[in-house]
Amino acid sequence: MLAIKIWNYFKGYVIIRVEGLTLERLLNLAASHDIYLWDVKRINNIVLEMKSTTRGFKELKKIVKKVGCRVEITNKTGFPFLLMKLRERKMWVGGFLLFWAIIFFLSSLIWKIDIVGNEQTPREEIISLLKNNNITVGKIKYRLDKEDIKDLLIENYDYFSFVSVNIKGTKLTIEVKEQDLPPERVDKNYPCHIVAKKKGVIVKVVPKNGKAVVEKGKVVNPGEILITGIITSEFGGETHLVHAEGEVLALTRYSSIIREPIVKNEERFTGKTFTQKGIKIGDKGIQFMKGDIPFENYKEFVEEKSLINLEKYDIDFPIKIVTYEYREVELKEVKQNIDFLKNANQIAATKEINKELPPNAQIQSKNIRHQIDDNILTTQVIIETIEDIGKKLIINNRED
Amino acid sequence: MKKKIENMKYNISEAFELPRDIIMDLPKLTVLGDKEASLLNHKGIIEYTKETIRVNTKSGIFKITGEDLEIKTILAEEIIIVGRIKNIEIIS
Repeated sequence: MLAIKIWNYFKGYVIIRVEGLTLERLLNLAASHDIYLWDVKRINNIVLEMKSTTRGFKELKKIVKKVGCRVEITNKTGFPFLLMKLRERKMWVGGFLLFWAIIFFLSSLIWKIDIVGNEQTPREEIISLLKNNNITVGKIKYRLDKEDIKDLLIENYDYFSFVSVNIKGTKLTIEVKEQDLPPERVDKNYPCHIVAKKKGVIVKVVPKNGKAVVEKGKVVNPGEILITGIITSEFGGETHLVHAEGEVLALTRYSSIIREPIVKNEERFTGKTFTQKGIKIGDKGIQFMKGDIPFENYKEFVEEKSLINLEKYDIDFPIKIVTYEYREVELKEVKQNIDFLKNANQIAATKEINKELPPNAQIQSKNIRHQIDDNILTTQVIIETIEDIGKKLIINNRED
Repeated sequence: MKKKIENMKYNISEAFELPRDIIMDLPKLTVLGDKEASLLNHKGIIEYTKETIRVNTKSGIFKITGEDLEIKTILAEEIIIVGRIKNIEIIS
């Protein structure tokens, strides 16, 4: 019934008033003429009020004459009549459309540019770079190409390891990840702090500019300020910002743990194979079973082949023939020489640490510990070094 | 004679478990609480006031009385009456 009501609303319907004495007859005739009437209300002895479609009303008029009643329209409702009404109120309709147009237009502009993660690059520099490439507040967001912005930033700053560009609503967010720069390369026109890039125990602080805030022997965590660029004068209490520079040497610790089983299972193919076929349509597959796999230990190799080869045309045909191949393997327990294993572990762990070590670090000590638990040999290598852990962080990079 | 045919129709529909209201063209009244009554296979309205509605059918006249009765829909086969129904009577 609701569907019919919605349909009637779109086609438009009329509320009519019928006056007469033989109203029941009128209703019966209307029903037999397939005129759809609904919400028939008895107002008083000689008056009925009802709803009818516009077409139904026209047909009803003919019947009304036959029966000898009088009919009049009291109200017209529905979409076509609404349109007619609106046609008389052009300014109102215009205002309504203008309102939505303005809302749509304003919400398709960029109103704010946010840059996140720039520790060594001044915010103003990125903004001006974007400005030179015609990306500013007030541009239409659909015209901006995220990939272009990404490429632009990566081309201009070779030490950006990751750039992500996001447009959410009217805000353009650029997120960058920087590699640690050598301190000389940070722009000296901007005030900065020197912060710790890793955990360590301070050995020596040599500030060239700015004021050291840590002392020898202090344990610092990543991100902690070592040499501040905010200087408070001794008398007035006024502060001013400087570009902090200096060397902060700290004792840092690297450790690496490697676990290796002493008795190892080695796998070897015996050469026996067992194959099964299947069909794959889209993501769903059917495997034709040909009995159980006759091996205890095996490895499964799956190969897919399109039913019709369309690779030339760059089309991935959705129906594929799948070959499942099972190759038998033989397990063999091999006991390894412990001394040999200790040596191998130690080399592997040291290699791992070497990857992390900065080139100018001085190695202070190296510690190796071996431990045997059940079947597993655990080797821990700890290397202590002295290195410069300072990293420049530009002050007030954020807008807020 | 007419009665015989009617009886046969009834027997056939009984035997084949066919819906009797369709085979024999009998009215079917469905009442929903005291709020709504829908009558299928009617043969026209005889009287319609706020208190009484009488509808002609093959089985006689259905008289529905109540308060604020209103015809929600009227079609060639179906009438839906809404309001507060108090009494339903079949006068054959």
